[in-house]
Amino acid sequence: MARRFPGLLHRIAAAAALLFTAACSEPANDPGATAATVYRHAMDGAPRSLDPAQASSVYAKMLVVNLYDTLYRYKYLARPYELTPNLADGMPQVSTDGLIYTIRIKPGARFMDDEAFPGGAGRAVTAEDFVYSLKRHFDPATRSRGAWLWQDRIVGMEQWKTDGADYDAPVSGLRAIDERTIQIQLITPFPQLTHTLAQGFAAVVPREAVEHYGAGFAINPVGSGPYRLDGFDSSGATLLRNDSFRHEPFSLEAEGADPAAAGTGSFEHLEGRAPPFIDRIEVQFIAEDAARWNTLIAGEADFIKVPVSQFDSVLASRAPPRLNADMAARFDLAANLESGFVHTDFNMDDPAIGYHPDPDQDARNRGLRCAIVKAFDWERRNDVFYYGIGRVFPGIIPPVAPEFDPSQDRSWTERDLDGARRLLRESGWHADNLPTLEYGFPSSVTERQMFEQFRSFMADIGYPAEKVRPLTFATYGDYARAYLNREVMLVTTGWTMDYPDAENTMQLFFGPNASPGSNSANYDNPEFNRLFRASATLRPSPMRTSMYRNMNRILQEDCATISGISRTLILVWNREFAMLPDRSFVGGFFFRFVDRAGAQGP
Amino acid sequence: MMAMARTLSRLRQDRSGLAGLSIVALFFLVSIAVWAGWLGQDWSAADGARWEGPGPAHWFGTNVLGQDIFERAVYSVRTAFEIGLVVALLSTVLGAALGAVAGWRGNTWIDGAITWLKGVLDAIPFYLFVAAVAFALRGAPWAMHLAMVATFWTTTARLVRAEVLKIRSLDYVRSARAIGLPGAVILARHVLPNTTHILLVQGTIAFVAAIKTEVVLSFLGLGVQDGVSWGLMLAESTQEVLAGHFGNFIAASGMLFLLLLGLNLLADAMQDALDPKQAAL
Amino acid sequence: MRFTAGKLLHGLLLILGVTFLSFLLMVWFGPDQTYSLIGKNASAEEIASVRHQLGYDQPFFARYFEYLRELVTLDLGTSNASGEAVRSLLARTLPVSLALMIPGFVLGNLLGIALGLAAAQHRGRWPDRLITGFSVSGMSLSFLVIIIGMQALLCTPYGLDLFPVRGWRVDSFASYLQYATVPSLSLILVALGYNTRFYRAVFIEEYGRDHIRTARAFGASTTEILWKHVLRNSLVPVITRFMFSIPLVVISGSLLIESYFGIPGIGLATFEAITSGDQPVLKAVVGLTAVAFVLLQAVTDTLYRLVDPRVT
Repeated sequence: MARRFPGLLHRIAAAAALLFTAACSEPANDPGATAATVYRHAMDGAPRSLDPAQASSVYAKMLVVNLYDTLYRYKYLARPYELTPNLADGMPQVSTDGLIYTIRIKPGARFMDDEAFPGGAGRAVTAEDFVYSLKRHFDPATRSRGAWLWQDRIVGMEQWKTDGADYDAPVSGLRAIDERTIQIQLITPFPQLTHTLAQGFAAVVPREAVEHYGAGFAINPVGSGPYRLDGFDSSGATLLRNDSFRHEPFSLEAEGADPAAAGTGSFEHLEGRAPPFIDRIEVQFIAEDAARWNTLIAGEADFIKVPVSQFDSVLASRAPPRLNADMAARFDLAANLESGFVHTDFNMDDPAIGYHPDPDQDARNRGLRCAIVKAFDWERRNDVFYYGIGRVFPGIIPPVAPEFDPSQDRSWTERDLDGARRLLRESGWHADNLPTLEYGFPSSVTERQMFEQFRSFMADIGYPAEKVRPLTFATYGDYARAYLNREVMLVTTGWTMDYPDAENTMQLFFGPNASPGSNSANYDNPEFNRLFRASATLRPSPMRTSMYRNMNRILQEDCATISGISRTLILVWNREFAMLPDRSFVGGFFFRFVDRAGAQGP
Repeated sequence: MMAMARTLSRLRQDRSGLAGLSIVALFFLVSIAVWAGWLGQDWSAADGARWEGPGPAHWFGTNVLGQDIFERAVYSVRTAFEIGLVVALLSTVLGAALGAVAGWRGNTWIDGAITWLKGVLDAIPFYLFVAAVAFALRGAPWAMHLAMVATFWTTTARLVRAEVLKIRSLDYVRSARAIGLPGAVILARHVLPNTTHILLVQGTIAFVAAIKTEVVLSFLGLGVQDGVSWGLMLAESTQEVLAGHFGNFIAASGMLFLLLLGLNLLADAMQDALDPKQAAL
Repeated sequence: MRFTAGKLLHGLLLILGVTFLSFLLMVWFGPDQTYSLIGKNASAEEIASVRHQLGYDQPFFARYFEYLRELVTLDLGTSNASGEAVRSLLARTLPVSLALMIPGFVLGNLLGIALGLAAAQHRGRWPDRLITGFSVSGMSLSFLVIIIGMQALLCTPYGLDLFPVRGWRVDSFASYLQYATVPSLSLILVALGYNTRFYRAVFIEEYGRDHIRTARAFGASTTEILWKHVLRNSLVPVITRFMFSIPLVVISGSLLIESYFGIPGIGLATFEAITSGDQPVLKAVVGLTAVAFVLLQAVTDTLYRLVDPRVT
């Protein structure tokens, strides 16, 4: 049964009708919708904007990569994650010095019909569209949230911005050589460039639509992706199959299916058929855990991320996560390790806890930080808030990164109360002279509980409760402002990796990236910085990996951060659908491959 | 004094009023005990397992961190009284002062200005206003109190103003003015004491409103910042109730309901006992 | 004529006051959205550029007068968070809120009037005591407690499990009932205690008036007294309460109900604007509420004169 999801005008009219002629109104019927396949996807948050330049949240990216095309994407089934061409016709040709990238785009890609185009008919996607889309990030009027990916990377781009961001002016390092060929010239080698082109940020938008809709472009997407938008508000979005999407038959091999792995069989019937397979996707934005859970149980959604509070009633075992019999009769499960991690940084700029001009005090502060790190009970944190299935790891190379070292020394994430007390004693700290810790968080139930738990951890090494204080903020924006202005002593943040390369997490502690950059610890270690600079232009290699691991060790020894945990997401979906959902790098790219289980091609 | 005695005897005859008074007194004793450190001191200790059911060790079970819910609910009595008393006292004092001035200077520009201010405050949706004040003060612990005081005084002021307007034209006040007593003295000695019944009742109502508002503000993340309150417990319970954990909800809403019921009964009884109109009947 | 001019001036001053206060709180001291709009690794220069685009670097009065201009010309701009025109946002959310709030609001008042009347007619006897007891209990329940309780009772397997837990996917009268029932019941319950008590007091006062005693003495029937005297004379306080509740109920009530039940109305939009610091939306909501409030006052005045010619 298809549910009707009325558009804006329809909705207003419906509400008015309900008010005044409630008794006479009849259920609306949608002729022709009965035969359509519908997939209902519940998301735990809502995107605020569908403009690719704003697609910084996992929710926005989920929709943006379906409404728009990106040059590259990640293979549907390959783990570890692998890049594959999307709109691009093959992987980029890179010059030997790593500075010039040449990318061809596929023929036959078209923007969907929209009033923004002359005559309302969509047109072919060209190389010039990509050039425009990337330039757009450097136009201050766009207020791009993704520009930093290409900041100081492309020859001539910063100059173009300084010269007034005139779209008709060329950027020497970003050109359309012909209708279908893009050439990018870099200032220094940037081996992660291809990864950035698989971001929602790098989606291709038509200039006509941006200019036609102005600020309203954010809610009037016009793209060439597998789906088009039929309705969007704060409660949900409806996507309809884009019939003019380029024809690209599915191939298990190309999507990186591992013939040895279990479960591949459920995708065999897709072989040779062209996605997208589902006619209509109804995405519901349900932030409240319990409510989201109930929509699944009530059969109102086909997919949810299971809230941690329900793990007890869902899982028969934790490792590996397996559904209990009741659930397994109706649902399938995927345990998805998030492509990021949560960590609590010390503000190294704060002389009470961080760097101090006096070397003695500096050493004492390090002792204090290390004592706090050792007192932090990762096991309990994992148990209470992540049901014990999060992955705790030392440092900042999360398990999802290819450079992760499973055999590394884990002592920095193992609780050592005696060691912590000894460190405090040796550094001359006692209850009376300990500094007051200010732990910042945006006011919410869970953040507050995490703070209270932190306070109870500190109590175990004799930190007086009144010296561990909450510093609350009404909005995340206010919290961000405070820590970006270096006003918060203990900053807890999550980092979602942009691409599977630990360079993306190393830069979190690179000195020049200090606040308002992403280095909210304001960490600045010359050796770390040197290694970062040296590794930044290298392609993946064992040498680069060992440099990353070195940096990871330096950071841990300085005790600049309490880190970290990668959450394991339990994704559950209706067995009537064959799919492999993913919240990390594949993200929204999997929508096009969702199909009815066992469905046959026409 | 005669009036006081009559009031007390009326109050004593009012059974529901007495019940209300006993409930409030009981809660007040608990809050004193918490304040003195005899009760609820372990509200922050996380010594249980996650979501333990009710039992002899934890009467209402534990929350997600393993903290004892009953201990937290008891400690919250103190939080409730702190908020209720501060807001009731300040908003009543402010309302009495502004209302008295407005009434005394009835129909002058001062009266107009105060009436205008009341109108302005009443025209902004309440939750929006308190939320805005809480934001503007960047999470200061007293932001919530200030927001409530800034809105709760208007009703008291309106009632006091009407009463003062009435009293001002009474003979003994006229004669006091005629012999040249300063306005402030007359107000303090002769006028304001006659508004006690309004102040007591309005103060109790403000107490109720303050506790109720705290719950909503804490749910929105704008309420109590450090410590625990019924509002924070209820906010926590919104994440638990649908998963079948009712400890926080039952403990917090039960105690909240009892205290509010006590206060409401008391306010009603005081209204009946103190209202001179009733006395005249 | 002078009367109208005075009212107009009064209304204007009120609007000026409300807009100034809300500007001061929500815009000048309000949440700063800059930091939720910038990307990872923003430079100080980029932050300054976003602040400039949002107009945060303008002086106080320039920003205040700009706000007044926007209100007067109804040029409400676009949401900073989503880019949606504020006008279209209002047009989208307001009908939802009205459809959600009006039934509960009207029923809550009608039930309150009925119960208040029943209590007043049996003053001091058991129906009165029962109703009063019920109303005091209702007044002692927190809004949040009612919402959580109703949801647990009506929408979960721990209770009756009759309605969806949350949301608003309304396309027919049946689905409207599905989604609106629990919020409406909560709304009725939260207001009923106060309404009953208020209307009871109004009716008791009317029943105690001399002309009603006289009418009774002259043998007028109970129904006649009820319709010709009590209800008619109670109209002024009833209308006042009813009218003045409207803008506050629609915004304040829907703020909590909608953010809890995830209903895409004006309350949720306002709440999201608060938490994200979306000033164009906040400015429009507060400014328009103030205008609506003042307009309602004028309408109420007119109604007074229609029902009660004594008012001049």
